[in-house]
Amino acid sequence: MAGDDGRRSGVGAMSESPLMETRDVAVQFRVRRGTTRAIDGVSLEWRPGEILGVVGESGCGKSTLARALLGLQETAGGDVVLHGAKVAGKRDFRELRRRVQMIFQDPYQTLNPRQRVRAIVTEPQIVQDVAREEHEGRVQRALVDVGLEPDQYLERYPHQLSGGQRQRVAIAAALVLEPEGLICDEPVSMLDTSVRAQILTVLLSLQRSRGLGLIFITHDLSLAWSLCDRIAVMYLGRIVEEGSARDVIERPRHPYTQALVDAIPVPTPGGGGARELLSGELPDATDVPTGCRFHPRCPKRFEPCDRVDPELYPVGGVAQKAACLLHAPAQGRGADV
Amino acid sequence: MSDLLEVGDLHVHHGKRPIVDGVDLALARGEALGLAGESGCGKTTTALALMKLLPASLEQSGRVTLRLEGAEEPINIEKRTEAGMQLVRWRHISLIFQGAMNSLDPVQRIERQFAEAIRLHEPEARSDDVRERIAELLRTVGLTPGLGRRYAHQLSGGQRQRVMIALALACRPSLVIADEPTTALDVVMQAQVLQLLERLREELGLALILISHDLGVLAETCDRIAVMYAGRIVESGPVERVFATPQHPYTKLLLDSLPVIGGERGLAPPIPGGPPDPSDPPPGCRFNPRCPFAAERCSAEDPALREVAPWQAAACHFAPWSEWPATTGAEAGSAR
Repeated sequence: MAGDDGRRSGVGAMSESPLMETRDVAVQFRVRRGTTRAIDGVSLEWRPGEILGVVGESGCGKSTLARALLGLQETAGGDVVLHGAKVAGKRDFRELRRRVQMIFQDPYQTLNPRQRVRAIVTEPQIVQDVAREEHEGRVQRALVDVGLEPDQYLERYPHQLSGGQRQRVAIAAALVLEPEGLICDEPVSMLDTSVRAQILTVLLSLQRSRGLGLIFITHDLSLAWSLCDRIAVMYLGRIVEEGSARDVIERPRHPYTQALVDAIPVPTPGGGGARELLSGELPDATDVPTGCRFHPRCPKRFEPCDRVDPELYPVGGVAQKAACLLHAPAQGRGADV
Repeated sequence: MSDLLEVGDLHVHHGKRPIVDGVDLALARGEALGLAGESGCGKTTTALALMKLLPASLEQSGRVTLRLEGAEEPINIEKRTEAGMQLVRWRHISLIFQGAMNSLDPVQRIERQFAEAIRLHEPEARSDDVRERIAELLRTVGLTPGLGRRYAHQLSGGQRQRVMIALALACRPSLVIADEPTTALDVVMQAQVLQLLERLREELGLALILISHDLGVLAETCDRIAVMYAGRIVESGPVERVFATPQHPYTKLLLDSLPVIGGERGLAPPIPGGPPDPSDPPPGCRFNPRCPFAAERCSAEDPALREVAPWQAAACHFAPWSEWPATTGAEAGSAR
């Protein structure tokens, strides 16, 4: 997989070489009490045109991972890889940030309140040295693509826009560089039902029309299930399960994923039933439990879980993996969960 | 037996502009009512009006009657003065609002804040009793009493939200209004908090008004549900009925937009456009410009909320709907 096709493989082609990868990436923060292992060895693939979901509770490291992917967060180890080539140094990351863009939960905090929509959407092109004569055309195209009539919106300020329109502008500003990938950090969690459906529709149509790869970082598992091709579940800085959206959410193999799925409110009255909820909260990443990091909260823990740190083992589904000793080949207890 | 809470023809105005436009509600003792709708539909304003907590710029009218168990006279909230309301708030009705966990006093220990709330209504209470009550309240919401010694910043988000719930229970109210109590929380924590509210309702006979835009949350927690749109209730009824056979197109489309895990993946077509400003509603039915089933009549006549099936009411000219016509795929992605 490494090395082949370092150049653009033609946007939209579902080539097998990943758009981006992380290889054993770690992010650490120094705090008074020691070191917080925010990301603790994450290897992940994101293929061209793929919709990848990264899910987990707040504090699990999913947003930090996104920042690390774009070089917005210094890593303590591991590699970030773009089309098979390791990204290293300022120039590489600058190039990476042209080809992969990011949008955030609250567009009001990321849009400059003193800039008009025209300036907001134009600016990334100045930063990335796009030829001047292309600016206007690209701005128009990006706005049309997100469903905003350019004539109506170009001269507006962010405060003259609704929440949904602001998020559209943020998406347009990301699109204007014609990226291959867009990382969306909780893109709709602040929006109402009907507006959020509109924004998601915009993102999905971009994925189809431009072959744009998407990463959805979200704590909303049903959203991830409905939209993503693949899902990676994070817990305390690690990926504990990954696989196709259907496999991971409908047939979860890791006890943590099972607990998350079980906690999703069911839109059928009485459908929640008597569920057994996870007790406690996400532990502090400064003090990661020994062995399996989930064992103190795990309803299925057994003898070696507090000593042995599990790897991602293959489980039932297609390319589905779970980091749980129940599925470790040598344990002899595999496949019964 | 008469209802615990009765709201009749509640209006809230900002100057001449209506924000809540004629809401009727009834709530039995121990019952959980869900108030659904998108932001700006008036659900929070309605909740605040029930406690007369609206900012001075907003004016409310309409009946709000609270009938406490064992009390001879009902409390007519609309007639109460601010001083009179202080005897009602927290003591009989309390409120847990969105982001409440951020409203704890940062410079006072948790227990001190509890003691204040309790003493406000029972100034005579003995310190020992107060301390015992605080410990019991914290235990009720699944926290160790030792947490009372801490400050807010020493607690996690979930713990703070539990503290807020415990505070809301401090004076043993009959009604708790919870406005998006779990919106800021993760799935696991959300499920824990909802389970807690349900348990408290059972154990303490608490009535609950739960406000949420998340229909899944309401389905799990509530007995009845009222859906608001542009300042009005457009549908109400028992949760099972409304979810199984919605009678207002807005409810129907909201329900269609919920993913059902295990079913078909993908996105339901979004409801085009956005909700209108309640102070400047379109003529006729307020939902008509966005309604895929709208007919001529809908932009001319304003439909009243009426019973269209046993216990179920909807404000739609064409209700009851025995069958929904296939939508022609609502126009997607437009910002209009």
